[in-house]
Amino acid sequence: MDKQYFLNTFRVTVPQMEQLTKTALARGGDWSDLYFENTLYGDLLLKDGEVTSGGLHTDFGVGIRVLSGEKTGYAYSENTGENDMREAAMAASLIASGSARTHDIPKPGKGLSPAFAPACGGDVLYQSEIPWESIRAAELLPFLEKLQERISSADSRVVKIVARLAYSHSDIMMFNSDGELTFDSRPMGSVTASVIFNYKGKTENKTASRSFRTGAELLTDSLLQELAEEAVKGIDERFEARRPKGGRMPVVMGAGASGILLHEAMGHAFEADFNRKGQSVFAGKIGRQVCDRSISIVDDGTVRANRGACSFDDEGVPGQKTWMVKDGILNSYLHDRISARWYGVAPTGNGRRESFRYNPIPRMRATYMESGSVPPQDIVASVKKGIYVDEFSNGQVKIGEGDFTFYVKSGFLIENGRLTAPVKDINIIGNGPQALSDIACVGNDLKIDNGTWTCGKDQSVPVSCGIPTVLVNNLTVGGE
Amino acid sequence: MTMAGSTDMNMTERLSGLVTEEEMDAARFCISYGCSHGASQMRVALGKSVLDSFAFLNGELDKVTHSADRSLFLYIFADGRYGTFSTNDFSRPGLEKFISGAIDTVRMLAPDPCRMLPSPERKAKDAVTGQELNLYDPEYQRLTPEARLKIAQDAAVFGSLGDTDSYSIISEECEYSDSVDDSYVIDSDGFCGRHTETSFAICSEVTIQDREGRKLSGYWWESSPHLSGLDCSGCSLTALAKAAEKIGPEQHEGGKFRMVVDRSVSSRLVSPLLSALNGASIQQKNSFLEGTLGKKVFSGNLTITDMARSEGRPGSRLFDTEGVATREVPVIRDGQVCMYFISTYIAGKTGMEATVEGVSRPVLMPFISGQDTAERTESCVSEEKEINLPRILGLCGSGIYVTGFNGGNCNPVTGDFSYGIEGFAFSNGKITYPIREMVVTGNMTGLWNSLIAAGTDARECTRWQIPTLAFGEAFFSA
Repeated sequence: MDKQYFLNTFRVTVPQMEQLTKTALARGGDWSDLYFENTLYGDLLLKDGEVTSGGLHTDFGVGIRVLSGEKTGYAYSENTGENDMREAAMAASLIASGSARTHDIPKPGKGLSPAFAPACGGDVLYQSEIPWESIRAAELLPFLEKLQERISSADSRVVKIVARLAYSHSDIMMFNSDGELTFDSRPMGSVTASVIFNYKGKTENKTASRSFRTGAELLTDSLLQELAEEAVKGIDERFEARRPKGGRMPVVMGAGASGILLHEAMGHAFEADFNRKGQSVFAGKIGRQVCDRSISIVDDGTVRANRGACSFDDEGVPGQKTWMVKDGILNSYLHDRISARWYGVAPTGNGRRESFRYNPIPRMRATYMESGSVPPQDIVASVKKGIYVDEFSNGQVKIGEGDFTFYVKSGFLIENGRLTAPVKDINIIGNGPQALSDIACVGNDLKIDNGTWTCGKDQSVPVSCGIPTVLVNNLTVGGE
Repeated sequence: MTMAGSTDMNMTERLSGLVTEEEMDAARFCISYGCSHGASQMRVALGKSVLDSFAFLNGELDKVTHSADRSLFLYIFADGRYGTFSTNDFSRPGLEKFISGAIDTVRMLAPDPCRMLPSPERKAKDAVTGQELNLYDPEYQRLTPEARLKIAQDAAVFGSLGDTDSYSIISEECEYSDSVDDSYVIDSDGFCGRHTETSFAICSEVTIQDREGRKLSGYWWESSPHLSGLDCSGCSLTALAKAAEKIGPEQHEGGKFRMVVDRSVSSRLVSPLLSALNGASIQQKNSFLEGTLGKKVFSGNLTITDMARSEGRPGSRLFDTEGVATREVPVIRDGQVCMYFISTYIAGKTGMEATVEGVSRPVLMPFISGQDTAERTESCVSEEKEINLPRILGLCGSGIYVTGFNGGNCNPVTGDFSYGIEGFAFSNGKITYPIREMVVTGNMTGLWNSLIAAGTDARECTRWQIPTLAFGEAFFSA
């Protein structure tokens, strides 16, 4: 990447940044970093047959963080004038003033601790062949119009379509008190279609979405087709669907979006800030077997063009692939620099933030389970009475207890090894460690879901999830 | 264009978080530049805020944050077209380039004759200083970082939280934060409105481990627009009590039970109703309350009023995002849907009468009847001064007392919902034991038709005034 381009964008020099980190550490902090961001965000909305609203938004600023032990001081400035940045640095430095004592933890030698190892590598995982900022809105409108046409012509019961294209490009520059300077250019394009159907007086809705770290080359005819097909797929069943009888039962999670199970039930509890504070249900369990030996669960920042991909995380650590669970053993938490230093391990590239307005914390990227060996149809066939689920909207977890839920928009009853009556609108609840140990079978069909997943732990960050077809022996299914 | 509010600005220019005269000039510049470069109408919302927080972990300062934001949000109408734009670059050259690009973008969109500013007579004329509603505390300006640190330090009581026979303390996270938000909204038809508010808040999360090794967390918070109204004492102790109450959960059987929902989470059940009354949802046929205006849909016990202009109360505002004046209006009265939230745009699209863009400060009125099929014609709103949790539990006898929702959703088209819950079983009006891994499932219309009590205990610090609620019957899975 062109260093001078980034320095010019943010109107700073390396000596200025060095001085700023010194100012930030003037009250005695151990380490500081600067996070510069320049984001252009645009969106277009098709409603009632036409693209009648849209917009452009810019955001520019620098976040300044001071670490004193594992404690954080954070402030930011919306411009990079020297005085404003110095004021922010002084505000962040408060953490190192008298009352901010540190725990008795190993102090890193500058540049020597694994947590502060020089950032290097950083494979470029996403590029814009057609940068969003080079495209005029008029060139993007036909995509949404064609999407609407394809969906309308695919099903006569469609009464309303809302289609949205959101795109952004962020230039990020990071500098820290060890002198590391890193850059990242992050494109993102997302298309969502929400469709309302009406049939014999009943109304139903469906949503289809795709999101990738790419430029406008995302907008292909095959994407149009994929979205249009998904937007109407299963609507017959949706009109017929009923809520099942609730209770505890085996649940077969379909490949792809069922990865929300991993995100909610396991991923959050593996984030090292919760573990560092002793709050997670998985705290202190590194090295222990937590599920069957056939199971490996990954949080991966290296999937090219994936919504959760990070060439560098937001602390300048290169993107990595992290096995949270390897062959059934709890292998690694998800670390930012603070938790990595606390645990005495290398950071895993999970220090992420919503924008320069937020300090980074451990967050997931693309979270998935590696494929097993069982054909998916054999998994369904093995269940006498249970439920198969394949479409979701949202989930939540209680970190301490490990209790998680996710909301199922559609699925099927399983009766005597066959998918039978369609079901919808049910919540499923379980306990993370218990659900992990209750995974009885892993399919050979890993699929990453490329929808517009956004994780909302304090801050919103783009993520993705995936899973092969799996059977969880015992979950509580809401029903009537 | 009126310049109301500008007389105070010289005085407030040096004050943290408040819009300065120079920034107001930038907003006015946007309108004059935009309208002279192709915009037919414009609205500009200038937002400015400052937030400081001091967080303690286990009795030691863990995180200090200082946030200062300002942005210009532009609503541009040009050639019968419309777009929204925002920037935090206030420089004149930056704004000129940004607005020119924005107008170019608007001109590429399809025309939409329904996009326009609200008519002048609908707009607020009394939001002059921003402080009319007494939501701004000048004391905010006198708070030093040291004073903020002291408040946080005093509220964090980790050292006094001892282990007991039934649990060990794992952690206490306690955070004090305060903020000022100032918004200045003007449009090309001469509207000028300002809204300023401060907020002072304390929150605490305590995690314990019971003797079976299970970790349990409790959370509590207090807030007030005025520093003097913030009660910091006992926040962590309340959080600890909430965690300790969860020890020894039992697997409750599934089935139909009376449901009491605690005041701290009851707004979760009101949210789908208010979303379904939103004009955009109605117009897009994405609402289970489409076609219900003027009809009695819910229990005659249910009355929700938007008390948008209550002085000193969080959530109050004199104007909505379009600048339209708010009013105190019934949203649902005695079970009848009284209004949809209809913006100027949605009014144009649907032919309905415009109201306001959204609810401000909904207040669910108290009553107690014990009946879930009240067919009364008179108002059911209670004049009783105290309808609290013990009284409501006593009324219901036995059932499930919900103290938290864990995930779940409500289908906006059908009103079908399913939520994970946490809480307690109760019997003979008394809490018996905590429950775990339960899901409540039903339909919003049916649920609200079984409403049998609403307390007088809504938390004053919340924008939505929703008290403890009791429903005659709900279906639980376990």
